[in-house]
Amino acid sequence: MSELHVNVFAMTYTADVSGVCSTMYELGGMTVLHDPSGCNSTYTTHDEPRWYNTKSLMYISGLDEMTAIMGDDSVLVRDVKKAAEDLSPRFITLCGSAIPHLIAFDYKGTAHLIEKATGIPVIPVATDGLKLYTSGIGLALREWMKRFADFSLPHEKDTVNLLGVTPIDFSRMEIVEEMKKALEERGFTVNCCAAMGDSFEKLQEICKASVNLVVSSAGMQPAKMLSAKAGIPFVVGTPIGAAFTDQVAQCLREAQADGKSRYAYDASRFQEKEEGEVLVVGEKCASCSLAQAVDGALGREAAFVLSPDVRDGLDEDALVEKMKKADIVIGDPLLRYGIRDPHTKFIALPHEGYSGRIYRKQIPVFTGDAFDVVTFLEGGRPGGSA
Amino acid sequence: MKEFQLIKDVPYEYNADKGLHYSSPCRGMWNIVHYGTLVPGGHQIYVCSTSCLRGVVLTTAEMGAVDKLSTITVAEDNILDGDMEEQVLHGTEKIIESLPQRPRMVMIFISCMHHFMAVNYQRVYKLLRKEYPDIDFVDCYMDPIMRRKSPVMPNIRRQVLRPLQPGAQDMRQVSFVGDCFPMDPETCDLKKHLEENGIRILDLTEMKDYDEMKQMEHSCVNFTFHSEAEKAGKDLELRLGQKWLPMRESYVYDEIEEDMAKACQALGIPAPSKEENELQRDLTEQAAAHCREVLDGTPLAVDSTAVDRPLEFALYLLNHGFEVEAVLVEAITEDEGVFRALQKKKPDLKVYSSLGWNMRIVDRSFDGKIVGIGQKSAYFHDTPYFVNEVENAGMYGFSGIRKMFSLIEEAAGEKKDMETLIQHKGWGCSACE
Repeated sequence: MSELHVNVFAMTYTADVSGVCSTMYELGGMTVLHDPSGCNSTYTTHDEPRWYNTKSLMYISGLDEMTAIMGDDSVLVRDVKKAAEDLSPRFITLCGSAIPHLIAFDYKGTAHLIEKATGIPVIPVATDGLKLYTSGIGLALREWMKRFADFSLPHEKDTVNLLGVTPIDFSRMEIVEEMKKALEERGFTVNCCAAMGDSFEKLQEICKASVNLVVSSAGMQPAKMLSAKAGIPFVVGTPIGAAFTDQVAQCLREAQADGKSRYAYDASRFQEKEEGEVLVVGEKCASCSLAQAVDGALGREAAFVLSPDVRDGLDEDALVEKMKKADIVIGDPLLRYGIRDPHTKFIALPHEGYSGRIYRKQIPVFTGDAFDVVTFLEGGRPGGSA
Repeated sequence: MKEFQLIKDVPYEYNADKGLHYSSPCRGMWNIVHYGTLVPGGHQIYVCSTSCLRGVVLTTAEMGAVDKLSTITVAEDNILDGDMEEQVLHGTEKIIESLPQRPRMVMIFISCMHHFMAVNYQRVYKLLRKEYPDIDFVDCYMDPIMRRKSPVMPNIRRQVLRPLQPGAQDMRQVSFVGDCFPMDPETCDLKKHLEENGIRILDLTEMKDYDEMKQMEHSCVNFTFHSEAEKAGKDLELRLGQKWLPMRESYVYDEIEEDMAKACQALGIPAPSKEENELQRDLTEQAAAHCREVLDGTPLAVDSTAVDRPLEFALYLLNHGFEVEAVLVEAITEDEGVFRALQKKKPDLKVYSSLGWNMRIVDRSFDGKIVGIGQKSAYFHDTPYFVNEVENAGMYGFSGIRKMFSLIEEAAGEKKDMETLIQHKGWGCSACE
């Protein structure tokens, strides 16, 4: 039999559908989540800090039993058309949860029908509600770029895009701005930040960059697409702390020069390691980057990483076992429940993708030069928080 | 679609659960997780996909009740391998064996997917009951795809009482079933009257012990106060032979007295006297007059999260000389007579649905001061003056109406931090700071 996927105490990372909504939030479109109920309120309550103050068109289809059984997609086409007539969005994104997946809902075909009925571009993003948000962000960015990006633009030297940026991983603009600042201070111009803080028009110019920086694993799919389709190499690494940001910048320069994509950290070293001084739990790219920054700050190979699998989430048994084998655990505050040894030191690094809005105000500015790893390990404020 | 309609143009069959749905930031209404945590010694297990689990786990986290809930994530491999029965069975076993304390009740919530995959979950529960005879296993549902005939909130209120078995009925004991909040004798006519007559009242919302909950088997009458509790009342009547009396959230004085009389007759206790009823009517009229004076023409908006019968309440307010600007309802579930009377009384009354897609872009400003009765009324009129409560919490009858008037007066006199308050999930639970 397959996995049980049991979590006795652990939370659930947010899902692909929230990733899609988060990506599209600022781009002037309308996002329709094909789902009976719940996914929209979950996203807007827990995963979307902009919901109260920034109007964006995010809706759920309200799929019901009979419509699903009859496979009557005309209901969705009709409902989206009605809303689009009132709201005139620039484009429409169609994604969905588990039931459309089970009944083999045809995203591409239905998107075509809606586009025909409304005259508005429709982007199908075939999510299934079973995977993590990183998958949803990646798919959404990829599909949006396929449709709207200008692939004819010439690359500009020392120009970089940040890929995989949404509030799910980076919560506030301040955290994103620190990444940009750190790169600019190292001679790069930040072209696009996909997709937080930049407009539709700005993102259309994404191919102006000479290199992409994947700052969350959510950025991997668009990075691969841009590499294959526009010949832009990518570097994987989140600029955390001055020393690691130097490494990232060096990798960006090398990638730009030789056209080869690369990692700024050694993922296998951190993920295969079973025990160590410092365990970092969380999204793979940021966690490995932090682990690399920790090793750099301590001057030895101290850190190891546990990350959620995009399909299976966080393995609770592995989490408990790895936590037992670490002196210090860095992770979201809700992971504390997994600690069995009272002597284990826990350093909280809240993550919106895991604990949602609960610790939003305590998320530190963990990017850029201002983040001091040693201070962070000592339990102090590494670079300030909101 | 406009963001609102005038009631004169609204059909009685109005139901906003059509078309694309918008989700407002108002989070005060309880969900199935909040309700499940009322069960003392209970443990909830949710079996569904990642996207569905996210909301429930964070609900418990925000309540600080992480130890009351576990999850089993249905992934692609489970769908393809067709082992969703085994997953529920062995996943539940693993959870029970891992918990620091043996739960008395395990509520297993299956999801939309289980229906579509034809999962034989009842067989799984049968096996679990055999394996763990000391635990009550309850089939619960997080299946919004079935909402047209079987919505989740009425279901959970019924299901948590399913372990109750037929027992000897005690004429001096009754139960209040299906509520989210305890009734207060100062604001609930029935509770006060029953206590004065020495009747023991059992109410899940006040229980600290699972065995006490099981004592509900011996109640001779079950009272419900909210339409979402009716499934629970009816189910207990059918299964346990306990009389069910729905106490209508009525704003018609005759109906309140009629329901009180029925309750007393069922228990063989004296009903409130004619003089007492007259006194209650007078006091309530005085409270209405006082509130009207305090408001001094300030308009009101009423929504269905605050009261079960927003149209009837709006009609009552209008009949008492209040200004009512709008009602917010997702569907018209009240008597047609009330609806027609309201159409006649104020044809230009605005009717909003907070689910409608245009509510996302609605102009939330209101020219002048308005008092919202309920979170949605407050949010959609962007007013800091509002009654912050859900489900007519703890209020019933004449004293309940008077309490509502005092809440309206309080709301009109003091600004609240609407943005913060309405976003707390589950009003009355220990929501996040």
